[in-house]
Amino acid sequence: MLLGIDVGGTHTDAVALDLTNDRVDVAASCKVPTDHDNLLASVNAALETILADVNRTRVRQLNLSTTLSTNAIVEGRTEDVGLLVSAGPGIDPHHFRPCRDFHVLDGSIDHRGNEVRALPVSQVQRAVDACRENNIRVFASVGKFSTRNPRHENLMRRTICRCDSDTECENADFVTMGHELGGTLNFPRRLATAYFNCAVWRVYNQFATAVSESLSAMGLGHVRVNMLKADGGTMPLEASRSMPVQSIFSGPAASVMGIVALCDVVHDSVILDIGGTTTDIAVFAGGAPLVERDGIAIGSHPTLVRALKVRSIGVGGDSAITMLGEDVRVGPRRLGPSACMGGTHPTLTDALNMTGDCELGDVNASRRALEQFAAEHTMPAALLAQRAIEAAATAIHKATGELVHDINSKPVYTIHELLEGKRVIPRKVYVVGGPAQALKDHMFQRFKLSTEVPSNFGVANAIGAALTRTTWELELFADTERHVLFIPSLSYRENIPTSYTLDNAREDAVNNLIIHLDKLGVYLEPDKAQVTEASTFNMVKGYDTVGRNIRVKSQVRPGVVRTMAS
Amino acid sequence: MLKSEKSLGIIFFPAFDWAISPTHPEREERLLYTQDQLREEGLFDMEGIAEYKPLVADIEDVERVHFCFPEPQSVVTRSHLVSAGGAIRAAQLVMEGERDRSFAIVRPPGHHAMKVVHGSRGFCNINIEAVMIEWIREHYGPKRVAIVDTDCHHGDGTQDIYWHDPDTLFISLHQDGRTLFPGTGFPKDMGGPSALGRTLNIPLPPNTSDEGYLMAVERIVLPILEDFKPDLIINSAGQDNHYSDPITNMNVSAQGYAKLNSMLNPDIAVLEGGYAIQGALPYLNLGICLAMAGADFSHVREPDYTPEKWKQDARTTAYIEQLCDVLPQIYFNPPPFDGSEKSAQGVIAGDRAIRHKDIFYDTDGITEAQTETLYLCDHCRGLLSCESRSSNNPLCLGVEIPQSACPACRKKGYKLIEDAQIKGAYRYVQLINRLDKEYMRYGF
Repeated sequence: MLLGIDVGGTHTDAVALDLTNDRVDVAASCKVPTDHDNLLASVNAALETILADVNRTRVRQLNLSTTLSTNAIVEGRTEDVGLLVSAGPGIDPHHFRPCRDFHVLDGSIDHRGNEVRALPVSQVQRAVDACRENNIRVFASVGKFSTRNPRHENLMRRTICRCDSDTECENADFVTMGHELGGTLNFPRRLATAYFNCAVWRVYNQFATAVSESLSAMGLGHVRVNMLKADGGTMPLEASRSMPVQSIFSGPAASVMGIVALCDVVHDSVILDIGGTTTDIAVFAGGAPLVERDGIAIGSHPTLVRALKVRSIGVGGDSAITMLGEDVRVGPRRLGPSACMGGTHPTLTDALNMTGDCELGDVNASRRALEQFAAEHTMPAALLAQRAIEAAATAIHKATGELVHDINSKPVYTIHELLEGKRVIPRKVYVVGGPAQALKDHMFQRFKLSTEVPSNFGVANAIGAALTRTTWELELFADTERHVLFIPSLSYRENIPTSYTLDNAREDAVNNLIIHLDKLGVYLEPDKAQVTEASTFNMVKGYDTVGRNIRVKSQVRPGVVRTMAS
Repeated sequence: MLKSEKSLGIIFFPAFDWAISPTHPEREERLLYTQDQLREEGLFDMEGIAEYKPLVADIEDVERVHFCFPEPQSVVTRSHLVSAGGAIRAAQLVMEGERDRSFAIVRPPGHHAMKVVHGSRGFCNINIEAVMIEWIREHYGPKRVAIVDTDCHHGDGTQDIYWHDPDTLFISLHQDGRTLFPGTGFPKDMGGPSALGRTLNIPLPPNTSDEGYLMAVERIVLPILEDFKPDLIINSAGQDNHYSDPITNMNVSAQGYAKLNSMLNPDIAVLEGGYAIQGALPYLNLGICLAMAGADFSHVREPDYTPEKWKQDARTTAYIEQLCDVLPQIYFNPPPFDGSEKSAQGVIAGDRAIRHKDIFYDTDGITEAQTETLYLCDHCRGLLSCESRSSNNPLCLGVEIPQSACPACRKKGYKLIEDAQIKGAYRYVQLINRLDKEYMRYGF
């Protein structure tokens, strides 16, 4: 039995899935209102509801997607962070300062990983002392090109903790080192990611502990808990404790994975999750969801947090209908609930009620609200409703077109990619979320593509959460001139011979991925680990080849453990 | 968050799967560290800066500019078409107003490729700036264009292509040709008889540093640009004046390049040479990108940079000061064209200006003998014909009817082609007819 919970903006959705009969059955599902001031209570309430119908001893796993970290950041409930930086020449790092206790130190490492300038120990010490005076307990140490050589970040961490131990430390509760966040090159993003990872660390860990405790209290102490990540994978709860930033924006990922579980997506497709206030748009290329190339932005800070490529627009069932001249518009504002649910202002859902596309709540209330609004703008109510639905469909269609265009114009770096470059051309539209069924025909009219609304479309996100596989990715960087191999996210360094090749690197990357997941208690079938990027460059001095510069990226492809598609 | 004053489009195309040979300076690794640096700096996340993918130039885009013998397909690889396409994309972004500025960081480079092409010279097969500029003129009509070539090597190919074009100002700053490939680019080269002063060469002595380089830009280049009033300024942004470049002897730094760029204010920059791929290119490209975007570049410097070490001596400064005094006159007040028998700039015989050229293609080891004839005309730029023979090809002919051609020159152009086919002993004949956008070749 697998449980999935998605703590959303309005509702917390939960499902229990039974996988015993070689297929996936929904054993129980529920929606409870989300209590923003007490997310744990919402989780507990959802759990209690679904557990009423299932045998607790058979529950193996709980996958949880929560807005906790996102909310903490949005609402400013984050902790002060001491940020120590070794940047060297380039863009002035002060441009990227995210917090008060920000200390730029005089160290520098270059793109090959050579230490150009050592970090002055006394300067590091002064920076740490200054943070202590401000009662800082969580720190981030971030260096430019630390993914090639983490020496400065390690030194900063040792100075912060004033100890050699990797785990226990009296002087700081938590330290994030930039290179552990992944091997991607992008110093400002590394800074921001490390900062946010620290800023939400305490609130996230308190929640994680509370979830574990309430599971024990419910007799579910044996259950393996995974947290959803924004890239459409999960991470084990224990691993997530040092990587809370990865749980940010996992909501859209849950619904996208829901589609993967519910539908047999094989073509290039568009996925629409039409909710109350927003529509999330995702694109699948050849059946697989696309991932943001660098990472998502938190507020105005781009980060290294890998995420599915999802675009949100302010059009949903509760979006208010407004008029500008003759133009009928839907969203992005929300002026209370729909008229059919007791609101005053007509919404998209009211329009759908009026045209007979759905029958939600008090259909007459929808009609009255629309008629009144239409009269104020001297337009027949039926026409207004029709125009409103058209406007919503057009907005979604337009945003989808832009997203696909963006994807197809992304830069490439080899002649082969450019000339043989695959373009994404959607052939199918999948729609989930509350108004999915009601808008199905309208979407078809607009997209002129086969449009499918799967069964269970209302709790697709919780199903997606429940079935999402554990993923991990790593970058391997090898320099045969310096005889070094480095996997930043694992802090793994090894000496390599001059003869080390790209094939060795591919093998090492996949093996390290499998070993790391194994340490986290996750068994990975070797064929699920894939190499996504691999390149090798001869390095030449004068006219002699002196070595090779090798880069390999490998990952467990985001996906689900089972699908419900027939 | 860092913002840019001007919106900048960057076309980054390192051609990671193409090289002249595995250990050639112009190889896959060349832009690898630049990519690392730009990514690590988060440049593409900066508000106002966006990365674009290149277009792929068509054969016709090449045929509009060059006489390629025996045919374009035999002298260009796909990589050259992408590199030229990268420059075209850069131009398109600016011309369509999508971006204020653009920088094509592409390879292979192109500024040694001349009007006639038999193969590769100085790592260049086709002139990507010229392909871009003529693409602009083809799509957006006649434009006055200034090309400022800041590559350390003389931009002899670009000079050759625009030798007779009064609407294109070509200024090349380079290490003195007496000390470096291709050994050309002296003040006496001022452009053809109908475009005198539109070519300006600024040969700088070896060991010129930021100080001397920027002095030349300020005192020679800027006043001329001010006077010429171009519709577009193009920077052939070679980066081999760097103090660490392995194949040149100049001492310019990343700060120098960034300042140069902010003084020059180019609409479009196109990467040319630059072979200090580890110690210089990453910082130079970063500095130039920031300068083009109007953003703060004050912290960009090479890790090993010590200004004192690269300071130029007083003699160098004095020499450059002299250049600054005399060189502007070549543009503002060019001496009359000496078309007599003893002139090395070509002779004037009746209504024709004729030049004989012997060209060596160092990369491909080809030698070429060429006779270029410009039919002087009072009504238009004049008809151009190039007769060429090389160790690769027998006698060939190229005829170009300019975009502004008068009816008489147009007619004469067709007559030349007809005569060449009937009477001439040409193996290959190519016609570039810019007026009617007609590009033809004969002979297989």
